[in-house]
Amino acid sequence: MVQYILKRIAIMIPTLVVVSIISFVVIQLPPGDYLTTYAMQLAQQGDAVDETELAALRDRYGLGMPIYVQYWKWVSGIIFRGDWGQSMEWQKPVKDLIWERMGLTVVLSLSSLFVGWFIAIPVGVYSATHQYSLLDYIASSISFIGVGTPGFLIALVVMWLAMTKLGISVGGLFSEQYILAPWSWEKVVDMLKHIWIPLLILALEGTAGGIRTTRANLLDELNKPYVITARAKGLKESRLIWKYPVRVALNPFFSTVGWSLAGLISGATLISVVLSLQTTGPMMLRALTSQDMYLAGSFLLLLSSLTVIGTLISDILLAWVDPRIRLTG
Amino acid sequence: MRTLSRREFLRISALGAAGIAAAACQPKTVIVEKTVEVEKEKVVKETVVVEKEKEVTKVIEKEKEVVVTATPVPPSKQAPVLERLVSEGKLPPLEERLPVNPGVFATNDGIGKHGGTLRRGFTGVADRWGPTKLNDRALVWFDNKLVQVPRLAESWEVSDDATTWTFHLRKGIKWSDGMPFTAEAIKWRLENEYFNKTLTPSPTAFAIGKDKKQAEHLFPDEYTWTVKFPAPNAVFILGRGRADYWYPGHYMKKYHMDLTDDKAALEAEVTKKGFDSWVTYWNNDRMWWYLNFEMPRVSPWIGLGSLATELHTMERNPYFFAVDSEGQQLPYIDKVTHRLFTDPSVFNMWIVNGEIDFQNRHVSMGNYTLFKENEAKGAYKVFLGVSAGHVCISCNHTTKNPRLREFIQDRRVRIALSVCVNRDELNELVFNGLLTPRQYSPLSMSPQFYPKQAFAYIEYDPAKANKLLDEAGYSEKDAEGFRKWKDGSGETISFTIEGTAQPGTQDEDAVQRIVQYYNKVGIKCAYKGVDRSLYQEHYAANEIEMAFWGGDRTVLPLVAPIIWTCRQPDRPWGVAWALWDANPNNPNAEEPPAGHWVWTIWELWDKIVVEPDPAKQTALFHKILDIWAEELPQIGYLGESPAPVIVKNGFRGYLPGYPVDDPTGDEHLLQTETYYWEEPEKHV
Repeated sequence: MVQYILKRIAIMIPTLVVVSIISFVVIQLPPGDYLTTYAMQLAQQGDAVDETELAALRDRYGLGMPIYVQYWKWVSGIIFRGDWGQSMEWQKPVKDLIWERMGLTVVLSLSSLFVGWFIAIPVGVYSATHQYSLLDYIASSISFIGVGTPGFLIALVVMWLAMTKLGISVGGLFSEQYILAPWSWEKVVDMLKHIWIPLLILALEGTAGGIRTTRANLLDELNKPYVITARAKGLKESRLIWKYPVRVALNPFFSTVGWSLAGLISGATLISVVLSLQTTGPMMLRALTSQDMYLAGSFLLLLSSLTVIGTLISDILLAWVDPRIRLTG
Repeated sequence: MRTLSRREFLRISALGAAGIAAAACQPKTVIVEKTVEVEKEKVVKETVVVEKEKEVTKVIEKEKEVVVTATPVPPSKQAPVLERLVSEGKLPPLEERLPVNPGVFATNDGIGKHGGTLRRGFTGVADRWGPTKLNDRALVWFDNKLVQVPRLAESWEVSDDATTWTFHLRKGIKWSDGMPFTAEAIKWRLENEYFNKTLTPSPTAFAIGKDKKQAEHLFPDEYTWTVKFPAPNAVFILGRGRADYWYPGHYMKKYHMDLTDDKAALEAEVTKKGFDSWVTYWNNDRMWWYLNFEMPRVSPWIGLGSLATELHTMERNPYFFAVDSEGQQLPYIDKVTHRLFTDPSVFNMWIVNGEIDFQNRHVSMGNYTLFKENEAKGAYKVFLGVSAGHVCISCNHTTKNPRLREFIQDRRVRIALSVCVNRDELNELVFNGLLTPRQYSPLSMSPQFYPKQAFAYIEYDPAKANKLLDEAGYSEKDAEGFRKWKDGSGETISFTIEGTAQPGTQDEDAVQRIVQYYNKVGIKCAYKGVDRSLYQEHYAANEIEMAFWGGDRTVLPLVAPIIWTCRQPDRPWGVAWALWDANPNNPNAEEPPAGHWVWTIWELWDKIVVEPDPAKQTALFHKILDIWAEELPQIGYLGESPAPVIVKNGFRGYLPGYPVDDPTGDEHLLQTETYYWEEPEKHV
């Protein structure tokens, strides 16, 4: 096992290098660069384009230089100085930008992950064991809506209803007067008033798929001979269900837990865009569309590293949970 | 098992219910005691009950009076917040802060009151022009009739040959940190930045002509600046509205390597902030108000922090140099806040909910009905200004495709393409009838308005279009009824109209309908929406055949005539010629053929540049428009699109019906520093 882990870690590093090169190149592929997009945007909005400003920015970010020079500048900054570069759009260091938003992003992603698991699994198990009961139908309907409707659509509808029927101000995490205010009880209350919408939507999305998967897998398992044997041998029903078939049914959760690590950072991007939440998702989307090289490249590098690490973790977890899997290679 | 799962199920509903309950929970009645110091002889008791519309909240304010006997003080000419600072000794009195001859700005909607906050929305650092345009009026500005009047400059003169401009600054203006502002500020910037080869390798702001000869700058006294150009430059004044060419030398010098007292400290700061050298630190940070908010300024508001934040605040400049006609110091509004949004839907919801006080930027005409429906709910009104944008098709007269080039360069074809479109129908279908059928032409309130060109060939006459196309030699049609090229190859005419309008927008609907009108007279074409940067690349390489572009800059064409004079490669109709004009060595450039009317347009513009009399300038510009009326280089269909401006109830100073265009500051044309709240205390 230890050997396996060490080998995987050794392969991770060249993988990350290749990924960083590819992501950097791909970001540059659309014609033009950040400044041409910026200048066009200005022109379309009817703003005058300040040539001196553009020239200064071009000079600063070395946008005229060949791509391998720019890449080396960026990577050497990360490795030797911990400097992830400067965002052209925000004119701030990338590290600060990502870090500022990390807190809220992780809170939202973790809560949606936990809500997803701790609600989906029990509800899925109940649905499977009490198939075609009333609660099963209700759970299934809700999960179909959650799976079938795009999250951002739910977000828009909920926002509209909250605003028109309940009169709450939407968008962002705080009302205007609390945005820059120091933390206080009122600020926490204000945040709770706003945060229930994203949590509700994320919970809906997170549980929906989980319920369906658990239910389906468990239904397959419940008809297997070993379940009947266990029941015949007199095991209590609840203990028998949770100890054996559920463990098998949970297989897909463990295989995909790796990707949730990356999802922590970029998760719920569209919902955050719609709700105007200050998480990393919208920032990454914006960086990619405006070709903000260093910010977008850093995000991609971060996400790939987390994905690679996460995949390793989920492989280990899976091997631990499911004894049928032998680690080879 | 059963108990466990039901509990879980209830937990989900509890989550949602708790959230709704928390959100809907509002205090019922709040009694606030406010202590008010009243400098009056009598005691006045007032109970003010303020009822808000949607919530069941009552705020009862009981004013507890503390009577302070004092000699009656004349009504203050400055904002209460400044009044307090003066009485505490933290700020010099008003007479010392204003110049000897303060600017007197006419208010357009009554005399204002000090106080209040203006709430707006923006999309981040890249949207810096939103907050900037609030704040960047300079030496001169425009009055209601779009005539330039003095602002920071008290007066100005121009020599008879239009080479020399002299500006007289007001005596006694101060920077926002209290230091005096004189012509020295301009001189400092010119000497230490503009003419400094390290900071500005190729200075162009005060250079004219193809060979970019620099003007001479003279400073006869402390308050006078004279610019002497090597050749006549009659239009120089038109750009002075928003170009401010001065620095607080006393502040900026510590960031300038040649002038600073402490080079080591500057080096250290440059490295600490992550810049390569003091030059990049200067050009990319220190000189921009939105990054360096400690820099003293002469604008009405001062930024309190970087724009890379969720809520950006600007506060009044206590040394602002202007007053209203009753001597009250401007601006009226105390604070301006910009709130960050990523998705336009959130911004629209803020508007509908009444959380945006005064804005045109990012307010889309496509949502007009939404905004109108919710006017009562959000307690605001939608004012309609006139935007400079037009719905036009730019045919590239210099396209690389020789057959298409011949097609486009035939005047009859262009006239046909103009009259084959039913403008009224297009207007009704796409724009709810809100635009005006016209060519790409100066707006009706512009000093250069020219009806002869504005309404040339706007009639709907498909028969005439067909006749003209037949006369031009494109009478042969294929099996589907589309016309063929006239070189005898038997191929159908076809070309692509490129643009950045995306599906779902009004612009895209418009261009698709125009394509249908073209198809009806036998011209086969299609619209292709592309990404912005791709569009830019295509233009630069002269790959565009025809373009759909909302032409603007039609309020004061003399300020930005580049579309009319074929000098803007990314927007016009003669890309290769425009490139040639800028740089003959450009591989995509092409000299216009001898005797072509583009030469006449360039000659006429050269005459305008040397003509000091504005009336004669307009007459010459009308001659350019005569050429446009005949030749239709760019075909315009609709124009004078209304520009929506959200104005909260009680916000005064801005009036509907004014142009909204970049050179005239969009919705700040009537000078934001003269806008005010009727009841400032309600909008803190």
